[in-house]
Amino acid sequence: METAEARLARAREALAGVQRRVGTTRDRWEAPTLPLAPVLDQVLPQGLRRGQVVSVVGSTSLMLALAAAASESGSWTAAVGMPSLGVVAAARRGLDLARVALMPHPGAQAAAVAGACVDGMDVVLLGPRLALSDADRRRLASRARERGSVIVAEGPWSGAHASLTAVGSRWHGLGAGDGRLRGRELVVRVEERRGGLARMVTLPIEVDSSLRRGAPALAPVRSLGGAA
Amino acid sequence: MSVVTVVRRAVLWVPDWPAVAAMTEAGLGADAPAAVLHGRGLVAVSAAARAAGVRRGSTRRLAQRVCPELAILPYDEGRDSRLFEAVAAAAEQAVSGVEISRPGLMIVPSDGASRFHGSEEALAEALVSAVAEHAGVECAVGAADGLLAAVLAARSSELVPSGASRDYLAPAPIGSLALAAMERVQREEVERLTSVLTRLGIATLGDLAALPFGDVLARFGPVGVWAHRLASGEDLAPPVLRRSEEDIAVEHVFEDPAERIEQLVHIAKEAAAALDRALLDAGVRCGRVRITARTEKGQELERVWRTDVGTRAGAFARHMTDRVRWQLEGWLSGTAGSSDGGKGPEPSPLVSLGLVAEDVVPLGAEQSYLWGGVSGADSRAHRALERVQGLLGLEGVLAVAEQGGRSPRDRALLAPWGQEAPPARAIAHPWPGRIPDPPPATVPPVARPALVLDAGGSPVTISRRLAISAPPTWVRLEADASDERARAANRHPSEGHVGRVVGPVWDRPRPVESWAGPWPVSERWWSEDASRRAYVQVALRDGEDAVTAVLLAYGGGEWALEAVYD
Repeated sequence: METAEARLARAREALAGVQRRVGTTRDRWEAPTLPLAPVLDQVLPQGLRRGQVVSVVGSTSLMLALAAAASESGSWTAAVGMPSLGVVAAARRGLDLARVALMPHPGAQAAAVAGACVDGMDVVLLGPRLALSDADRRRLASRARERGSVIVAEGPWSGAHASLTAVGSRWHGLGAGDGRLRGRELVVRVEERRGGLARMVTLPIEVDSSLRRGAPALAPVRSLGGAA
Repeated sequence: MSVVTVVRRAVLWVPDWPAVAAMTEAGLGADAPAAVLHGRGLVAVSAAARAAGVRRGSTRRLAQRVCPELAILPYDEGRDSRLFEAVAAAAEQAVSGVEISRPGLMIVPSDGASRFHGSEEALAEALVSAVAEHAGVECAVGAADGLLAAVLAARSSELVPSGASRDYLAPAPIGSLALAAMERVQREEVERLTSVLTRLGIATLGDLAALPFGDVLARFGPVGVWAHRLASGEDLAPPVLRRSEEDIAVEHVFEDPAERIEQLVHIAKEAAAALDRALLDAGVRCGRVRITARTEKGQELERVWRTDVGTRAGAFARHMTDRVRWQLEGWLSGTAGSSDGGKGPEPSPLVSLGLVAEDVVPLGAEQSYLWGGVSGADSRAHRALERVQGLLGLEGVLAVAEQGGRSPRDRALLAPWGQEAPPARAIAHPWPGRIPDPPPATVPPVARPALVLDAGGSPVTISRRLAISAPPTWVRLEADASDERARAANRHPSEGHVGRVVGPVWDRPRPVESWAGPWPVSERWWSEDASRRAYVQVALRDGEDAVTAVLLAYGGGEWALEAVYD
């Protein structure tokens, strides 16, 4: 038994899918978007809008993936309060390290530093343990909207345009003492501020490069979750 | 090939310059035995050390055996050339222009200078005494036609008569060619050439000069031509003289010590505009600006900012005003760290401000980008980063790069933004034992402790022969610092603790789903930071569907969490 809500959501999805395929989305005029890696199409179907706040819980790889395509096409990225960011992983995801700056320990100046970054950079990654009050966060969000930069924050962020939570993760390639990590599927719960329903998206976030040629990438499986 | 007329030149040579420079910086007297070590061998040896039997090129151990009180100093090319500036400035007291070919060696066109001083002997005397008096360094001066003859003459303090260079060079061993090679790459090339020539039976420069020019070109290429011309006493290029210039600087002393930034905004603007005017008057622009200030307590604060804004239409003045203001703001609030990595200065009123232009180039000589200028986004980002550097200090903002290495942590290269980064290890080298891709997204700056347990709950060990004592079954990582429950559980007597808990707070044990390894990595066994570790990739089951993969390292009987694939 499907509820009316679920049917409506599905219809909207279908419409959005068609619009994406044809290339005429109703939302195009709303806000310019930053490029997004194709693997994240299902996560943020409308793209990475400038001025948005995206909160990510539980996966640094997902944060890097969000910033990757934009960085590749010339955007600047700042990572504030992320002292243990994997530099090589960022480079492999496609970030251009020449346009990446780290501010690992902003300390008490977190709000000022994040504000300066939002002013000047296109994508700002914020770490989980920053000294930001709720008022600071609201100020940052409105500054991002004004400046057209995107905030990708690790950890919950009330009022985020999209909240991505890594709820499940599966690795391939390891055995009992043999093999190595190869591929990974990440199950992400996507809650959008406007979108009503939470969606579960499975994405092949890590695909072994030796397998990438030949076999097509795993098709993302979607299912409708409960109400947000 | 264009033939350059042979220029008669005087060469000023400071024996063992790297050793002399290192000793000057280390505060050692000139008669102390000292040597400069680079890589595995000594590159320069002081006179006292040479008298004790220490030789260039010998190893540290050999040198210390013949001379136990030998001071071994590190090699630093920057220091060598920096300190040689003082020698060059001293020589400029006697002559009007010099060419520094390499630290330790400088060339003076002799004709005009010796006419001025009366004779070449007088010129040599004037140079030696000027350098001894003003720089406190002993040097030797020689003169001859052509580069190589002059360099050789300086080593024996001779004045070779005009036109006699070819005969003077003829008996010199072929290895002297390396003395005329001014860069390290060139020197290696020349050393290869001389070793081939020696094996061919050409032992002196006279032998080489006697060979037909065309044959040397055909057999040895450009290096051969270079060597042949030098051996024949010819010249390659006339000396390029440096012009000594005054620093372009602006100094501003405050009437009252300034405590608040509001008092300084106007002064920052004026100082920047004054520097801009001074640069324009001199017809130059600069790549860096050094901002200095003195506090009321007499502390000197200093910071160098990079700038790439042209001088057009006052853009430079505006740009510098911001930078000066941010810097002063940082100093006044005490948030900007000092440039040598220490703590920031105590907030204290400022009494003076100075701006010095560095990396000065003539206007119009700067290179522009091939495709248009800097984009708006780039300059906006640079401004933001410099703003943050004003807030956090120079080390607060890091630029990142990838470099070669085995563990994920070794493969990241971090350097303060805007500063010249230390050279990266080549990625293209094979790095056997490198942890395979995919690279982990979370790499803690230092490895965190971890526990790996077998099915019975006892720690898993890996022997020197890489035998793992039991398959890992449980892994305990450090708990989050804010996790009160884990903290409480750790205090429970069932954990074996009595009284105060020391050591890390462990999270609950997580079952191992699958694992791979151990992969041995033994690095730098010859040095103090040697490490011998075995890496294990482990997938931990967190919940029904959630698996976390981590990279663990075993070394010295302890397990450590190297990285998380999250």
